[in-house]
Amino acid sequence: MIRHSVMVGWADAPVKRYVDDARLQLSVLMHPSGQVLAQHGFQRKLDVQTACALSAAINATAVQLGLLIDGAPFTDLHYAGTLRQLYLAQIPIATGTLVLLSVFDEESSLGIVQLYLDELRSTLATTAPAEQPDSPPALAEDFERELNTNLAALFGRG
Amino acid sequence: MSAFAPLIEAVTRHRGVTACLVVSEGDGIVVDGTAQVGMNTSPFAALTASLYRKAGKASAAAGFGTVSYFELEAEEGRVLAAGRNGLLIVAVAESRVNVGLLRVELLRAAERL
Repeated sequence: MIRHSVMVGWADAPVKRYVDDARLQLSVLMHPSGQVLAQHGFQRKLDVQTACALSAAINATAVQLGLLIDGAPFTDLHYAGTLRQLYLAQIPIATGTLVLLSVFDEESSLGIVQLYLDELRSTLATTAPAEQPDSPPALAEDFERELNTNLAALFGRG
Repeated sequence: MSAFAPLIEAVTRHRGVTACLVVSEGDGIVVDGTAQVGMNTSPFAALTASLYRKAGKASAAAGFGTVSYFELEAEEGRVLAAGRNGLLIVAVAESRVNVGLLRVELLRAAERL
């Protein structure tokens, strides 16, 4: 199997190691707004864009649903399909929370993903920058432009 | 008390057994079990289930059929696992354990999974 991998910045090494250790097929690390930070396994820009948008929406829904019915946000989500499974996890860092989408098949398992996710959380908690002075807060009007800029950087175009 | 409690109790009764877990083979998640304080059961269960699945694939590739029992011998202990119906019963034991008796117990327990 050919696995395509594109990474940038401080998340590169930890996410790549997580993907290798947990035997994932696809993985995307993103801001809760859907801005991609690192990805592994996707071959097309549009696929990453779609995955990020959907994951961000699921995460936002889970947070609000958790607050509504449990008084606290639901943090992680696991869905088992027929051939593939996904795990959507929140990763707390110094500046907030990131969202990580992991897709795996029978080569891995929920237990294995959770095991290496704990390691990734610990690593990112120390490697993620404490402040991002060059990155202004994401605004709705800038979102699409920033998303496209990130994707262009990830896929080496633009 | 869960349906697995009698099986777990029967395994942990053996001298030298330090943990016994019922684990989902596909997910590697602990369903039930008992372990000594300090043992991190979740990573252990995930990795053992993964090993068991890989052993099953190796066995199938070799034309030996499905795996029903798996044993790992290490410097200071043993891990024994038997599976059925998507579940594994896993025992962690010291090196001094009577492996023959424990193996019989695990296979007997697996029949009831």
